[in-house]
Amino acid sequence: MGKERSKSKFVGLRVSEEQSQVLSRLQQNSNLSKSGILLRGLELLSEYYSLGLDQPPLNLELRNLEAEAMRHAQALRQIRKRGEAIGQMVQELSNVDKIIDKHQANKSTLIQILLDIQAQNHWLPKPALTWVSERLGVSWSEIYHIATFYKAFSLTPRGRHTVQACLGTACQVRGAPRLLEKVMDVLKIKPGETDHDQRFTLTTVNCLGCCALGPVIVVDGEYYSKSTVKELERIAAACE
Amino acid sequence: MRRLKSATDLERVRQEILAKRDPNKPCVTICSGTGCHAYGSEKVYAAFVKEIQGNGLQEKVDIRRTGCHGFCERGTLVVIFPEETCYLNVRPEDILEIVSTTLIQKKVVDRLLYVDGNGKKVVHEGEIPFYKHQSRIVFGNNRLIDPKRIEDYIAVGGYTALAKALLEMTPEQVLNEVIRANLRGRGGGGFPTGIKWETTRNAPGEIKYVIVNADEGDPGAYMDRSLLEGNPHSVLEGLIIGAYAIGSHEGFVYVRQEYPLAVENLNIALEQARERGLLGTDILSSGFSFDVEVHRGAGAFVSGESSALMAAIEGRVGEPRPKYIRTAVSGIWERPSNLNNVETWATVPLIINRGSEWFTGIGTERSKGTKIFSLVGKVKNTGLVEVPMGMTLREVIYDIGSGIPNGKRFKAVQTGGPSGGCIPESFLDLPVDFDKLTKAGSMMGSGGMIVMDEDTCMVDVARYFIDFLSQESCGKCVPCREGLRQMLKILNNICTGKGKEGDIELLEELSEVMRDASLCALGTTAPNPVLSTIKYFRDEYEAHIKERRCPAKLCRELITYYILPDKCQGCTVCVRNCPTGAISGGKSLIHVIDQEKCSKCGACFEVCPPIFNAVVKLSGEPVPASVPSGIKVTHKR
Repeated sequence: MGKERSKSKFVGLRVSEEQSQVLSRLQQNSNLSKSGILLRGLELLSEYYSLGLDQPPLNLELRNLEAEAMRHAQALRQIRKRGEAIGQMVQELSNVDKIIDKHQANKSTLIQILLDIQAQNHWLPKPALTWVSERLGVSWSEIYHIATFYKAFSLTPRGRHTVQACLGTACQVRGAPRLLEKVMDVLKIKPGETDHDQRFTLTTVNCLGCCALGPVIVVDGEYYSKSTVKELERIAAACE
Repeated sequence: MRRLKSATDLERVRQEILAKRDPNKPCVTICSGTGCHAYGSEKVYAAFVKEIQGNGLQEKVDIRRTGCHGFCERGTLVVIFPEETCYLNVRPEDILEIVSTTLIQKKVVDRLLYVDGNGKKVVHEGEIPFYKHQSRIVFGNNRLIDPKRIEDYIAVGGYTALAKALLEMTPEQVLNEVIRANLRGRGGGGFPTGIKWETTRNAPGEIKYVIVNADEGDPGAYMDRSLLEGNPHSVLEGLIIGAYAIGSHEGFVYVRQEYPLAVENLNIALEQARERGLLGTDILSSGFSFDVEVHRGAGAFVSGESSALMAAIEGRVGEPRPKYIRTAVSGIWERPSNLNNVETWATVPLIINRGSEWFTGIGTERSKGTKIFSLVGKVKNTGLVEVPMGMTLREVIYDIGSGIPNGKRFKAVQTGGPSGGCIPESFLDLPVDFDKLTKAGSMMGSGGMIVMDEDTCMVDVARYFIDFLSQESCGKCVPCREGLRQMLKILNNICTGKGKEGDIELLEELSEVMRDASLCALGTTAPNPVLSTIKYFRDEYEAHIKERRCPAKLCRELITYYILPDKCQGCTVCVRNCPTGAISGGKSLIHVIDQEKCSKCGACFEVCPPIFNAVVKLSGEPVPASVPSGIKVTHKR
């Protein structure tokens, strides 16, 4: 194999010599490791998503790597507390590492690992997924397939308080749609959404197993039965 | 903790546990199942602990948090042994009185007792009609056991079936006993369990797996959850017996992550069983080894399907595959894998202990034993009920469930979850078993039983299930993915008054294709809610389409709210609650709804005091011309 075709590998991405040089250049500018640039960049991208800014979808194809890395570096320069941000990310990644270790980095536990990450962060941050992909040797597409297939996973940050509205059959026949409407009115968000100051995330579930209370909503683990608009407003106000 | 090495060892430990217990010592059991938990059972428990300690009774009274008792309607449930005094709707503020009256003075707190239709008070749990008509053979131990303590399970005779199977029977004998018992899968299809076991047992390959399916996804069904949360050892015992009969040494429990308490209690149970030598290597010194791993499902209805579930256990996306070769022969990692539902596994120890003859003595000709149903919806006594197969729907809904609340009329009962169908009033005397339900166009499914009254729109029910299924379809096969999408479109049209002639026929045609061509049971059974409602409630579909009328007055686009001028008392409560400001009229003036502004949210209908009943819903009839504003109420009540 010729020298120019050799590839170095980090964070699960194969990059060519030329692209590696680009990254080295960026590295000098930002005082970050090469993987740090990419990971931080990816994290930023995912944050942009969550803010709803119109960013093009994440494209990890090699030919886009340079432009992408440049853009990330650009964004990086604008971060003021850079050291802190990096430290935080390293912490996050080491948490993910622990989870992966707990499951012996076994490919068949991928869903279990993602569940643990979700439980820890209340969402699946992109750097964490990159790390999982790297350590388990599972492709991005497979992780994305799983992360978007199952309802338990969220690729955007969730609010500090979760509101679940039960739409199980028993609640449905007892007027759950009407209750959900009231909740949407009070929180000003739709199911699956998080409000702008990340206070609430509203989700719907199919049966919580407490059909006697239906229609029911759960706010941070507390159950509320047949709530009126006034009660909902009070419940919402009690959440910081 | 001591490892148990034989059946005598087990019996000795059981006797030791019992000897430590004084049968006359009062024991307060607090239901901590999901329903009661939602009512605040933890606070009730804390109040009991505080009050009992405050009175210096901690040595004289036991407190136990148990799994679900089933009577969820009246939670939090508290039963005080040995008298079995049953208190309902217990709140933390009642505890002071219970402790001083019942535990100290040995008297009954009247106001917390069950009152039957004739005003008679019922003291004992077993005499409450809700419980009296049930046969709680699988579910009954829940109320006696703290699920976090293996001693409680051993005390009620737990693991004796395992000892009997491992030490006195050959795997073939165990298998034949289950085949003779004609136990059918409680998860939905009703496939004979013994035959399934035999297939896996005879399938080629050294390594075989046994799996518990606890991916209970049917909305409105929660019996598997209550069993796993309330009595995890019974499921585990059944699983080990099954593994022995099949020749498997590795098992999985696939449980939804939405059931965190089930996961927790199950993990505790596994740990305790391992410590006792009831799980792991050389169980009860029989030479048989077996262990279990817990897999949490991440929330996908289709993952309850066998091949999808097994893909998920392998760490892949839980999508079904074509099953030319059954999973019993080629499942997890292409090895023979036997999958059964939670309730099925929990029934196995009973069959081994009491014999297949006892089991076949319960139920109907082709459906043996009991089944747990979650009786929910528009029914007075919501809860989990266990009845022998063959009991009629009427007995379940009226004798156990006490009928429909608020004096409304029964319309239909939906069984079998999204794969099932709606059964009308004319079938109320139908004996409930696998085959009778299928014949009526529904199915047993996992045992959800959702009661509907006259206010339920059957087209909306069909739309609800198709909406659920279209979200849950994995999208792998076209008939299911596109069929559901088109069905949902048509049903949405019908419910919003945009239905066309021929829509019903089109739904039927789509159903046929989905039934024939879908990859897995999600798709092939998906048309059931539509077909059964068309079959029994075609007139409702026609009213929606032809007359733009919703007979149940539920579909928003087809109804109008109207204030009856001769009933309105001008109290302004609806005016104040209207979110769009559509209602005019001040104090003592007749209120009028501006139909242009009305968003049909129904707030006025909900808040109008029942003694006035002035707000009505109209559907399919012209709205009377509104009275001019400013007219005074003349006929004050």
